[in-house]
Amino acid sequence: MAQLIADRRDIDFVLHEQLNVEELSKNEKFEAFNRKTVDMVVSEARNLAVKEMLPTWKEGDEVGCTFNAGQVIIPESFKRLFGLFNDGEWLAMNEDPEWGGQGMPRSVSSAASEYFNGANYPFMMYPGLTHGAGKLVEEFGTDEQKHLFLKNLYTGKWTGTMLLTEPCAGSDVGALETTATKNADGTYSISGSKIFISGGEHEMAENIIHPVLARIEGAPAGTKGISLFLVPKYRVNADGSLGAFNDVVCTGIEHKMGIHGNATCSLTLGGKGECVGTLLGEENKGMKAMFVMMNEARLLVGMQGFSCATTAYMYAVNYAKERIQGPNLTKPAGGGVPIIQHPDVRRQLLIMKSYVEAMRSLLYFIGYCNDVIAITEDAAIKDKYQGFIEILTPVAKGYVTDRSFEVCNHAIQVYGGYGFVEEYPVAQLMRDCRITMIYEGTNGIQAMDLLGRKLGMNKGKVFMDLMVEIQKVIKESKAHESLAPFTANVEAALNKLGETAMHMGKTAMSDKVMNAFAFAHPFLEVTGDVVMAWMLLWRGTIAASKLSDAKKKDLPFYEGQLKSLEYFTCNVLPVTLGKMDVIKATNGAVVDISEDSFIG
Amino acid sequence: MEILVCVKRVPDSAENEIVMNSAGNDIERDDLVYSVNEWDNYAVEEAIQIVEKVGGTVTVVTVGDADADEILRREMAMGAEKGLLLQDDAFEGSDCKGIATALKGAVEKGKYDLIFTGAQADEGAGAVGGMLAAMLDLPYASLVNKIELGDGKLTIGREIEGGNREMNEISMPCVLSIQTGINEPRYVGIRGIRKVSGVEIPVMSAGDLGVDAGSVGAAGAKVKKIDYFVPEKGEGAEMLEGSTEEIIDKLIEILKANGGL
Repeated sequence: MAQLIADRRDIDFVLHEQLNVEELSKNEKFEAFNRKTVDMVVSEARNLAVKEMLPTWKEGDEVGCTFNAGQVIIPESFKRLFGLFNDGEWLAMNEDPEWGGQGMPRSVSSAASEYFNGANYPFMMYPGLTHGAGKLVEEFGTDEQKHLFLKNLYTGKWTGTMLLTEPCAGSDVGALETTATKNADGTYSISGSKIFISGGEHEMAENIIHPVLARIEGAPAGTKGISLFLVPKYRVNADGSLGAFNDVVCTGIEHKMGIHGNATCSLTLGGKGECVGTLLGEENKGMKAMFVMMNEARLLVGMQGFSCATTAYMYAVNYAKERIQGPNLTKPAGGGVPIIQHPDVRRQLLIMKSYVEAMRSLLYFIGYCNDVIAITEDAAIKDKYQGFIEILTPVAKGYVTDRSFEVCNHAIQVYGGYGFVEEYPVAQLMRDCRITMIYEGTNGIQAMDLLGRKLGMNKGKVFMDLMVEIQKVIKESKAHESLAPFTANVEAALNKLGETAMHMGKTAMSDKVMNAFAFAHPFLEVTGDVVMAWMLLWRGTIAASKLSDAKKKDLPFYEGQLKSLEYFTCNVLPVTLGKMDVIKATNGAVVDISEDSFIG
Repeated sequence: MEILVCVKRVPDSAENEIVMNSAGNDIERDDLVYSVNEWDNYAVEEAIQIVEKVGGTVTVVTVGDADADEILRREMAMGAEKGLLLQDDAFEGSDCKGIATALKGAVEKGKYDLIFTGAQADEGAGAVGGMLAAMLDLPYASLVNKIELGDGKLTIGREIEGGNREMNEISMPCVLSIQTGINEPRYVGIRGIRKVSGVEIPVMSAGDLGVDAGSVGAAGAKVKKIDYFVPEKGEGAEMLEGSTEEIIDKLIEILKANGGL
């Protein structure tokens, strides 16, 4: 039987040959995660994903969630699955064992996360958001809040959400209208309406904990006056037992294009004046706290999109090997052949392969950056790796989900007419994948984040550090003559990216700021392309060094690495250079056109 | 209750495209992914459940090379407390009797109330359990799909032809070969994996077990595989080809055409 979801050999390559995660186990913090442990984690995550999660994915799509008089019914199979997931303690893989976590390196948990999300990411949103809510409690909660909520969240006894969006406060969170009024006992009465709340209501867990953004009466307007509150569905008594219903009422769920298994709820808080929350962190510092969760959530969304891509790629390759249609062009009388022999199908598969491999390396690398920060005592190294995370987050969310959707699209094309039929899996993957380009900050906002915040961060040092890191790989690859043309293309693209970044930085600070931001998304695209090229060159350099002594079974894999590198650097990067020319020209049509001219 | 469960590392049929090697005498093993034999996994789960009820220890044992360590570790992460690897060049090429001989040595080094094997292995003859029992002169039941604990004895259900089940009483110590479906094996969680991360699994050689090297391995094997092939298509047989979906569609057509649906 063919592999599902992900290419295990490629996962092992990234973990053990590219990132050498076993080295992390030399540090006391990760000492349990030696090679054997890491391999078993990946195997058992795959086992659970393939045997239990994947079979519920289609049911989740077809049955979906239903709403009736305030009650939300999620797919029945998800409840058993959530039990199995929690039994295995997969929810808080990286967190402190004291609070129910498992202390695993993030690079390693990335592999488990890829399998789980690839199997059923609409289901994984329930534990994913639960983890995010727990992280907020861990970072900003009082001791009392931690003891009341944290372990129950990290073990999946309760689930969590994230309540930001309101009807008039979407991308502009500062416009929110939910209010918090301080009570005599130090708690706050919360009143307002929230929409698009993933997992906002269900009966899968005995309580749901909502971190809620609201404005304390009299607080400043905009984001500076927003505070964060912890609002449970059922109040929690001092001894940890559940109290009265907390007046958090679901008023409806959305009917969406994809991720049908996850309930997207509208919630009214305090409709009867009986919703009580506790302050999480400091007053008016809610956005700062929420960014902790949002940064994690953005990386998670990148993983969600990527998981659709890797799953779609695996389906497409397997299908192309089995589906017999038409003769080989060079043997017209030879009868039908598997469609993987047809050049245009191969072209699409190689595009998919290149992106999937490079995106996997990028996401795992960001996990690895967290691991380095966790074990190093050196402040400069910590800063550098934190900088990598900061500048690569918009790429990991914005660029990766854009490309993942593209990969899903190619998968449908490889399937031909069957790809358009819901009986086959790739249509659902494309539908599920689409939202990843929108939520947790649209990809346009990710582009603005890259240009407006990250590019100039620490006076440009973060961007420069990234350039230096990429140059290191270029230098190593120069030791391999066979890679010379590919290395040269990556180097040319990196140098031109530096020039483009300089131009964008200057333009953004000039009176042409609108023009600069009109090119924010193209700038995210070219940055992402260069990051992909970096990852593929890194992989190719390893493959080139191992090729001569490779075992028979590894030869096609390493050769495949070199083909991904060749394809990307010779077919994609030249287009990237052209895109950079366009950015540097900064044509003003987008800004100059009047609103009246869009429709005559 | 002290329980020894004999397990085997086999190619994972869910992960591999099984193809013949170029010599045509075995499957191509270069690129295989291995895992614990499915029947053995049920046996380990049953042993864990018994120990959870009445206390005791589950030990998992295998005959294999250094790589077989991974399945012992996996079953220990699942809940078995101890592991034991029987590793010796002398064991290489053993037939079922050779494997049973090595396992007998391991049984005699401990004191076990119950010895479980899987009913069969993905690439085996389903014979080790019975041979082991005979060598140890212990009572034996095959294809066990239910176990009820009694005082010094067990009541066991056996799967028999036609989907029927028979119930037997068997005294302990005994050897049981466990059928799939007896339970629902648990998944391995991270806590279990972390627990076994630093565990050293003891290794015993033929000498340690008191086993004569000449009685095991290729030299001692009385049954030898001489060929391995996909049977030729017989008269009236039709091999369905294409993608899984296409094969299913064709099968449904055939069933409909022949009154099967």
